[in-house]
Amino acid sequence: MIRSYSITSFHGSFSFLKLTPQSRIFSHDFQRLCKSVPREIGRTFVLYSDFMKYIRNFCIIAHIDHGKSTIADCLLQQTGAITAREMKYKQVLDDMDLEQERGITIKLHAVQMHYKAKDGNEYTLNLIDTPGHVDFSYEVSRSLAACEGAILVVDASQGVEAQTISNLYFAIDAGLEIIPVINKIDLPSAMIDTVKHQIKDLIGCTDEEMILASAKANLGIDEILEAVVKRVSPPKGDPEAPLQAVIFDSVFDIYRGSIVYMRVFNGTLKEGEKVRFLHNGKDFEAEEVGILELKRKRTDQLSAGDVGYLIAGVKDVHDTKVGDTVTTVKNPAPKPWPGYKEVKPMVFSGVFPTNADDFEDLRTAIDKLRLNDSSLVYEPETSTALGFGFRCGYLGLLHMEIVQERLEREYNQSIINTVPNVEYRVTKVNGEVVLVDNPSFMPTLGEIEKVEEPFIKAQIIVPTEYVGNIMKLCMDRRGIYKNTTYLDPTRADLHYEMPLSEIIFDFYDKLKSTSRGYASFDYEILDFRESDLVKLDILLNAEPVDAFSTIVHRDKAHEWGKRLCSKLRKLIPRQMFEVAIQAAIGSKVVSRETISAMRKNVLAKCYGGDISRKRKLLEKQKEGKKRMKQVGSVEIPQEAFLAVLSMDDE
Amino acid sequence: MQSFISALHQEIDLYKNHSSETFTTIFLGGGTPSLLPAYEIKRILDHLEDTFRISRNAEVTIETNPGTVDAAKLQGYRDAGVNRLSIGVQSFHQDELEFLGRIHTADQARQCVRDARAAGFDNVSIDLIFSLPGQSQARWSETLESAIALEPQHISAYSLIVEDNTPLARMVRANLVSPNPLEAEADLYAYTMERMRRAGFEQYEVSNYALPGFRSQHNYNYWCHANYLGFGPSAHSFWKEGNEPGRRWWNVANLTNYIARLEKQTVPVASSELLEQKQMMAEKIFLGLRSDGVELERLERDFSTQFPRRQRELITYLVEQKNAILESNGRLRLTPKGYLVCDEICARLLPA
Repeated sequence: MIRSYSITSFHGSFSFLKLTPQSRIFSHDFQRLCKSVPREIGRTFVLYSDFMKYIRNFCIIAHIDHGKSTIADCLLQQTGAITAREMKYKQVLDDMDLEQERGITIKLHAVQMHYKAKDGNEYTLNLIDTPGHVDFSYEVSRSLAACEGAILVVDASQGVEAQTISNLYFAIDAGLEIIPVINKIDLPSAMIDTVKHQIKDLIGCTDEEMILASAKANLGIDEILEAVVKRVSPPKGDPEAPLQAVIFDSVFDIYRGSIVYMRVFNGTLKEGEKVRFLHNGKDFEAEEVGILELKRKRTDQLSAGDVGYLIAGVKDVHDTKVGDTVTTVKNPAPKPWPGYKEVKPMVFSGVFPTNADDFEDLRTAIDKLRLNDSSLVYEPETSTALGFGFRCGYLGLLHMEIVQERLEREYNQSIINTVPNVEYRVTKVNGEVVLVDNPSFMPTLGEIEKVEEPFIKAQIIVPTEYVGNIMKLCMDRRGIYKNTTYLDPTRADLHYEMPLSEIIFDFYDKLKSTSRGYASFDYEILDFRESDLVKLDILLNAEPVDAFSTIVHRDKAHEWGKRLCSKLRKLIPRQMFEVAIQAAIGSKVVSRETISAMRKNVLAKCYGGDISRKRKLLEKQKEGKKRMKQVGSVEIPQEAFLAVLSMDDE
Repeated sequence: MQSFISALHQEIDLYKNHSSETFTTIFLGGGTPSLLPAYEIKRILDHLEDTFRISRNAEVTIETNPGTVDAAKLQGYRDAGVNRLSIGVQSFHQDELEFLGRIHTADQARQCVRDARAAGFDNVSIDLIFSLPGQSQARWSETLESAIALEPQHISAYSLIVEDNTPLARMVRANLVSPNPLEAEADLYAYTMERMRRAGFEQYEVSNYALPGFRSQHNYNYWCHANYLGFGPSAHSFWKEGNEPGRRWWNVANLTNYIARLEKQTVPVASSELLEQKQMMAEKIFLGLRSDGVELERLERDFSTQFPRRQRELITYLVEQKNAILESNGRLRLTPKGYLVCDEICARLLPA
């Protein structure tokens, strides 16, 4: 039972009263009060150590479309954290436009609910949302680490997917209690028994431990809430120890600065205290702390077991890194909570303004974007073809797409994005080792001793009938086969090691198309390995176009060059002069195409009455040409730079 | 017809005190002015002479369509003061003439040229159209040779333009005819330029060829921003005085409206534009490149600007690739190879 302590006399008699977060008190303070402070008569308190027993911190793990957000919404409605009217968006946790459109969670958020359980107690449930994409796996691991339990949601008609498994392993590694939920059981295509088997094989649970649910039909929601209360352990930690709070997300507010979302593991943080971020040792004053309901709710303090936010006038999100530990200056924790790491960008591309005059606008936009995307890194880049721009580093392909889309939509930038590439580790003949994230900076062939590239461990889950297709695809992408296991007789779980560079380029689309959309895929970074890589240049009338340069495996260079040349031949319109398109490794041309010269473009008549019309026509053509990029005498339409991204279309 | 002619005279009157400038050319064209009898032409020319200052040896052209004139009428035009004839022959093939909706025959066209000479015209131009759908080079060459054989002083040869809202455009849309592919059009155009050169004609514009001394003064005025006044429906005028921005205006296109406006003594102007420096420069560049070339340095001086690096590089490249020649006086002039892609070059050299 909930115990709250009320001072009704000097002798300290107890009564049971409703608990509020504000009335929590440390046990030694309570004892002191009981003994010495008559004016506290009538106030009620709950001991921190008792209060923690009624907190549950959990998250939901699910593959895209398996119903994570709808389940979350049901929990919110069931506990009264949100009314039907407030359900303005279908999925309240995903509040960025982009997230709503793509149905994926990009940013993590947390929300607090109050649930009166069947045991008669009221519990504080903190649901921490996790991003659903491999690009953000570090953030996933941090938000999982903020929880004691995870609801594993599996679609009854789809079964277990690769993404589910990788996140599930993260959760198991983090010691989380797993509550399996089979969702969408009311679908005609539901295969409940098969999915039960898959889950049992994965986590070794019993039938009884699995909850059958349908968020749509509001089935099983109570069972989920009860299971969270009964099976997830309450947070441990000492509210009187030095503060250790781990950041699992931050958002940027132009008025308040970086708003930190964190889980307190030890200690207590009160407003007005000086806080320190351990990764860079910077100190700030805690202006406001509170919990996260649908909106932020100020509570003056947070202590061990709590999930909440901190506003400390931090003007740069890079000071509030996910995974970092927050402590107090007065009583600092001797060491950070384990698990922090710097997230490194894995995918790089050049971002250029469509119109070279807009470079300063782009700089402003990207500087602003950086303020609420702590994973984005960039530096100025100059391209002979595209002019001034930025070399950006992203966590992955999705992150790249998100950055591009945000630049275009939120900041109204018209941009050209170059072919993405990974980072290469090049050892030169003179022993020097350089990291190359831009093909333009690849040392010349003669300088190179060896080139290494990042490899990944890939996991692909696919119905057995498509195994052949997938194996062929992975082989094409230089995959090294490791092994296959079977989730059930119809679903194979393939393991490969392959170069990251081979998957950043439309691998996912190919995977889906060769498996009729059934394959699911996940990966983690392994290590750098030596590969026979060469830089392939594209030359237009003998002038190299840096934005088209790529680094490819030598065995693929010819094929790649041939396809790139033929693609460009189709995309570059005829010019006044013949245009030779060449693909070359160093000085060796591996492929060549020719765009013959434009034969005729002249209007026959232009007399007194035609001049205005003719001028307007030419001005329009000129305007159109502004959007072209010029290399030497050749005009290249923007689509050419973009279409290289979809090389496998043919 | 009569109400149109009186409207035209009324319009000329509206410009009575417009300018003291001396005009050097008169052009009666657009539509078929040769439908008018000689005395009406004379009245118009006399009216213009009464209203404006016109130089003694002005070039006075009338557009004529074979089949609308005979020897006597042409003689009448000559007597009225017309000294240049532009004959809308278009083709010497009967089927092509029918396709183009012309009422005359090839023989009438030949006769027209002979009548013109008999009437004393020593400055005759023949208009031709090539690249008709499916037209072979052999077929076009027959027309061109026929024209050259008639020994005109001037030939205009236009590649067929499918204008919007014309019967031809409708036929193209309905897939009844398919326009020649650009390749074929280019071949015919290149052939024309070469053939005209061999016949001793100077190409002084995209579609215009003249024996030495017989370029159309009137067209040349259009292309170098000389002032001009246009009368009649759809007629364009351009006027620029001193440092004022140039003004261009044009009349309503509809004949009924045109007449109605003038009956009410109001100007029949449909719209006008003031040309900013940049637009003037743009016009100078493309009109120049289409015709006699552009004096680059003078242009830079006149508009106190400079061609940016990209355009300078392009100019060098154009000369290297023999799309253009740079004359010793700094004039950039297109070659036949350049004329073929003239619009492309112009669009790239327009001021930013």
